[in-house]
Amino acid sequence: MLVFTLRRLSLFIFTMLLLTLLSFSVNFLFPGEAIINLSGAINATPNQLIELNEAYQTHRNIFWQYIAYLGHIINGDLGLSMASQSDISTEIVNLLPATIELSLVALLIAMLIGIPLGFIAAIKHNKPTDNLILSVSMLGYSVPVFWLGLLAILTFSINLGWFPSAGQISLLFEIEAVTGIQFIDILMSDSPYKWQAFNDASAHIFLPACVIAVAPATIFIRLARTSMIEVLDTSYIRAASAKGLTFRQIIFRHAIRNALIKIIRHIGLQFANLVTIAMVTEVIFSWPGIGRWLIESIYQRDYTAIESGLLVLSCFIFIVHILTDFIYAALNPLARGNKYGA
Amino acid sequence: MARDKIYLEEIFPSPFMQLWSIFRKTPVAMVGMSCFLFLIVLAVFGPLLAPHSPVEGQLDMLLLPPAWHIDGNVSYLLGTDELGRDMLSRLMYGTSLTFGLSFIVVIISLVIGVIIGSLSALTSGLKSSFLNHFLDVILSIPSLLLAIIIVAILGPGIGNTVWAVVLVLIPQFIHITRYAVKEESRKDYVLASRLDGAGPFRILYYSIFPNITDRIMGQATLAQSAAILDIATLGFLGLGAQIPLPEWGATLANGLDLFYIAPWTVYLPGLAILFAVVSTNLVGEGIRHALKLRKAR
Repeated sequence: MLVFTLRRLSLFIFTMLLLTLLSFSVNFLFPGEAIINLSGAINATPNQLIELNEAYQTHRNIFWQYIAYLGHIINGDLGLSMASQSDISTEIVNLLPATIELSLVALLIAMLIGIPLGFIAAIKHNKPTDNLILSVSMLGYSVPVFWLGLLAILTFSINLGWFPSAGQISLLFEIEAVTGIQFIDILMSDSPYKWQAFNDASAHIFLPACVIAVAPATIFIRLARTSMIEVLDTSYIRAASAKGLTFRQIIFRHAIRNALIKIIRHIGLQFANLVTIAMVTEVIFSWPGIGRWLIESIYQRDYTAIESGLLVLSCFIFIVHILTDFIYAALNPLARGNKYGA
Repeated sequence: MARDKIYLEEIFPSPFMQLWSIFRKTPVAMVGMSCFLFLIVLAVFGPLLAPHSPVEGQLDMLLLPPAWHIDGNVSYLLGTDELGRDMLSRLMYGTSLTFGLSFIVVIISLVIGVIIGSLSALTSGLKSSFLNHFLDVILSIPSLLLAIIIVAILGPGIGNTVWAVVLVLIPQFIHITRYAVKEESRKDYVLASRLDGAGPFRILYYSIFPNITDRIMGQATLAQSAAILDIATLGFLGLGAQIPLPEWGATLANGLDLFYIAPWTVYLPGLAILFAVVSTNLVGEGIRHALKLRKAR
C-alpha cells in the first residue's frame, strides 16, 4: 500500500505541475498583457504595477515567473476578478461547495439508479428486459443536457408545479454559511424552521440533480452490465452453483460484491463527465455554483477568473480521481500492484 | 458433381469487410446507418432543398405553430419563430452546421490523432512515458471545459468552436491509436513482416493499419456524438455560432424566451440534436457489437 501511495503521490504532483503550467501559459494566450491577466488588476496605478511586476518576477525569465506564480497559488492568491475586482479565491471558496454538493447528489442518484438496472440487465442477458434497459440507456446518453433541463423545468416546475425551477434554497430561510454545503449548514443551524428549510433545499436540488444524473446513470448501467456479465461467467460462480447455492444467494453473496469493485474504479473517470454536465445545468437552473460563475466570466471576458476556474475545477476532478483510486485499492488487494510476491 | 472452383483458392476478406458483413446483419445498426447517411445527404444538400431562407423573416407570419396544429400553415411545415423565420429551413441549414461541421471536426482530429498516435507508439522510454502522463492529464479535464477555455482564448464564433472541438478530440484519438498499435505490434504477424525486413513505417501502413481501422472507426462514432453535443452546447451557451446562424444549439437558445408561448422553437432543435446523436450512437453500437462478434469467432 505504501508503494501504491507513493506512486499516486508522484502522479498527483506531476499532474498538479502540468495543470498549473497549463493555467500559467493560458495567461499569455489570452488577449492583453500577461501580468494583468495573472493578477486581474485592470485599474492598477503605475506604482501598483511596479509592485505586481516585482511580485510576479516579470523581469526574470519565464521559469522564475512560473515559480513566482506557483508561490502565489500555494499562498491561496489567485488574483482579482477583472469584472468585480473581488478576490477570486474567496469567491471560489464560496461557490465550490454548491457545485460539490450538486455533483455528489447527482452521482449518488446516478449510482442508485444505474447500478441496479445494470445488474438486472446482466442477469436477464439477451432477453427483452436487457434490450429495453439498453435502449433506454442509449437514449439517456444521447440527449443534450440543456434540452433535458429545459423540458424538466417546463414539465415539473411550470406545468405541474412540483419543484422550484431555480436557485439553491428559498430566500425566506436564513441559513448561515459555515461549511458552504447547504444540507450540513441547515442541520447545524439552530433555526426553528430547520426541517422546513431542509425540505425546501431538497426540493431545489432534486430536479437539477436528476437532470445531471441521467447521462452518468446510463454509463453506470453499461458498466454494471458488462462487469456483472463477466463475473457471472467466472469459475467461482460456477463453483458456488455446483455447491448448491440458490441463484439469489449467488447473486447477493458473491456476484454483486465482485461486480461492484470493478464499477468503483470507473467512478473517478465518470466524474469529469459529470462535472461538465453540472456546469451547463447550473446555468439553466441558476444554481450558485462554480460552473455558472465560470461561464459568466467568459461572457465578461474575465480572464483571471477563467484561468483560476480552470485550475480549481480540474484540480477538484483530479483529486476525486485519486480518491476513487485509493478506495478501489483499499477494497481490491489485486489492484495495489504488488503482485510479484510482496 | 460439378466443381465450379478448380483451383482451391481461398479468399480472406479484409478485417474491415468481415466487420461489414456482421454489421449488415444487425437491423438496428442498419437503421442507424441509414439515418446517418440521410443526415449526411441533408448536410450537403440541405441549403438547396430548404423551402425558405433561414435568416430572412416573414413579418406577417410570426410564431406560426407547426402545420398539424389548427393554426398552422402547410407552407411553413414546422412553424416559424418570433421573427417569422421558417423552422424547417433553419433546421435544414442547421444540419450542415451542427452535424456537417461535427463530421468534418471528427475527420480532422482523426487524421491528426492517428498520425501522432502511431508515431508515438513507435517511440519508447522517457518520451513515451511523458506523453502518456500528459495525455492522462488532458483526458482528465472535462472536454467541454477544455473547449470553453479554448473558445475563451480564441473568442466566440463558429470557426473557433470547430478548432476548439478538434483540439479536444485529438487526445482521445492519440490514446486509442497508441494502444491499438502497441497491442498489434506484439502479435506474430507483425513479427513475421519485421523478419522479412520491413521498416517500421511499412509495417505500420501495410500490416497494422488494416487491422485497427475498425477500432478507430468505433472511436470516431463516439467522437462524433461528443462533437455534436459539444458544438450544440457551445452554441446554446452563446459561445459558439453567433446570432443569425441556424446552428441547432443556438436556435434552441434563441427560442428560450418564448418557451412557454411557442414550445416548438425549443422542442424541434432539441429533437434534431437527439436524432443526430442517437443515429451516430446506433452506428457506433453496431460497430462495437460487430467487433465483439468478430473477436469471438
